[in-house]
Amino acid sequence: MSWLRISLTAFAISAALPVHAQTVTITTAGGDYGNAMKEAMWGPAAKELGYDVREETLSDGLAALKMQVTSGAVTTDVIHLGSPEGAQAAAQSLLEPLDYKIIDPKSVPEGAKSDYCYPFDSYGTVMSWNTKTYGQNPPKTWAEFWNVAKFSGRRALRANAQDSIEIALLSDGVAPADVYSVLSAPEGLERAIKRLEAIKPDVAVWWTSGAQSAQLLKDGEADLVITWNGRAQTVKADGGAADYTFKGSVIGTDCLGVPKGAPNKEAAMKLIAAMTQPARVAKLTDFIAYGPVNPAAYEGGLIPEDRLKTLATAPENAGTSVFSNSEWWVKNGEAAQRAFDEMMAR
Amino acid sequence: MTVVRDPALAADARRERRFFLSLSLPALFIVGLAAILPILWIIRQSFLTTAGEYTVGNYQKVLSSGLTWSALVTTLELSLGTLAACILLGTPLALALASVRPRLANVLMAFVMLPLWTSILVRTYGWLVLLRRDGLINAALTGSGLTAEPLPLVYNFTGTLIGMVHYMLPLFLLPVYAAMRDIDPNLIRAAASMGATLRQVIRTVIMPLSAGGIFSGSIIVLIYAIGFFITPAVLGGGKVNPLSTRIERTLSTFQDWGSASVLGILLLVLMALIGVMLLAARRLVAQNTVEASHA
Repeated sequence: MSWLRISLTAFAISAALPVHAQTVTITTAGGDYGNAMKEAMWGPAAKELGYDVREETLSDGLAALKMQVTSGAVTTDVIHLGSPEGAQAAAQSLLEPLDYKIIDPKSVPEGAKSDYCYPFDSYGTVMSWNTKTYGQNPPKTWAEFWNVAKFSGRRALRANAQDSIEIALLSDGVAPADVYSVLSAPEGLERAIKRLEAIKPDVAVWWTSGAQSAQLLKDGEADLVITWNGRAQTVKADGGAADYTFKGSVIGTDCLGVPKGAPNKEAAMKLIAAMTQPARVAKLTDFIAYGPVNPAAYEGGLIPEDRLKTLATAPENAGTSVFSNSEWWVKNGEAAQRAFDEMMAR
Repeated sequence: MTVVRDPALAADARRERRFFLSLSLPALFIVGLAAILPILWIIRQSFLTTAGEYTVGNYQKVLSSGLTWSALVTTLELSLGTLAACILLGTPLALALASVRPRLANVLMAFVMLPLWTSILVRTYGWLVLLRRDGLINAALTGSGLTAEPLPLVYNFTGTLIGMVHYMLPLFLLPVYAAMRDIDPNLIRAAASMGATLRQVIRTVIMPLSAGGIFSGSIIVLIYAIGFFITPAVLGGGKVNPLSTRIERTLSTFQDWGSASVLGILLLVLMALIGVMLLAARRLVAQNTVEASHA
């Protein structure tokens, strides 16, 4: 009885207190990544704006976003998505258009710009290898990765068309700048799939999660692994016999969007603008090797010199890489994935 | 059953029956809520486009795709392979368990049940440690010179099957063991005293009397095996893709709830077909046994 009275009193007090702080809910992927975003980005931004920010964590952001918007019960104001998912969400009208009066439009390079999901950090899909197997002479290009006679060894690729078909074309001699025009041309996709089919007998594992790809690399289960730079870097830093290169990487970005019908739309835009200030996205690299998209974050020594080479978008790593094209994926993703799955089933 | 003549007693019996029936209401309610409603929802979903309009397009799309059929074949290969391994390994094991002293049987049974109490994820990753290229088994094989190269034991069909059989064997064993333990030992003694050999005893006494257990075990194995997801996803290395992983792909990569629902219904139909086939087979066997005993 007494605890009931106490909780009733507590309820009465909390109801009586006037609400000062604007409440905003952000949905992140959680884990180390989610914590990094909290420490470096939205935590300080919330303090600056005087917002009371609540965090929800989900591993499959797009599915959750779709569920919230289609059921009309939108609880989140800002959602963290991969850019292809962001573009897909925009195509299904699940996102509010970004307010570029609040968010600085010059903070995003032209190639990465989006009207619906604001790209803030980036990662590379890279080639990694076992240093015990290859010593000082690992494959240096995707063409060499495909050369199973010269570089024998077990390969591990992601069981997904995304990034794989771009890499397949790079291995076939397509220049990074031409990848999407080749893919959009008739038989371009087929060319990429054929290339993947050629290496299929030497693929020991088609991995499905980033953690799995790191494990394969660490255990030496595979000698050559296509994985995300953050994963390869972690294995290397943990003392695994592994190394990787950004040469020929496919660069993807993660982005922040505002769900259609979000309860605090304007506050959400302000939070996005504040949490992606150059110093904050630069600070994110203290925790995780995902480089800022905003070029200003690389100026003024915001990121220590020795860390730059671990970031996909660092100026010295640019040039040989391809920016993953979300628009292409929204338009052709299903067909590409189907062709990929059929290749796997053959 | 004695016939109750006293009307007061009959009313009492009726009240009692009603009371017992009402005890099952919470369970019925939960089954209705947790099983039937979602299935109805899935059936409705399978007829909707992503925009929410009614269509049969999902069925056309899924049933005309070669991927569906190759996933179906993989599902059947995995399920029947698991069942065959369970019957081959489990039946002799159950026979052995049923024939040893009860105390020893209990100890052995604990060993059989132990894996059942371990999380399937833990077990699956455990197999990964054992079966992988530099895992314990391959290290022993290459270390002792039995094989020159590590065997491909995992990230393929073999590894998936090993993981599934390990999970299913205890579930198969339980009903078979129960059936065999219930066989009246006098029947076996009688058969032996009439001059039956051990093989004849097994074939004419033990097997027919434990057929019910083997059928129950088989149904359990098939129902579980058809929907297995974690084991093929982890031990299959992306190369073993039954309907369950196809559903996951359809949902997470394509956000195509309609097609995923069609695939789910396909699984349901498959399960119903297997159930019907097994029940028919069971009836047939029972009939044959009766005829044989009359002959």
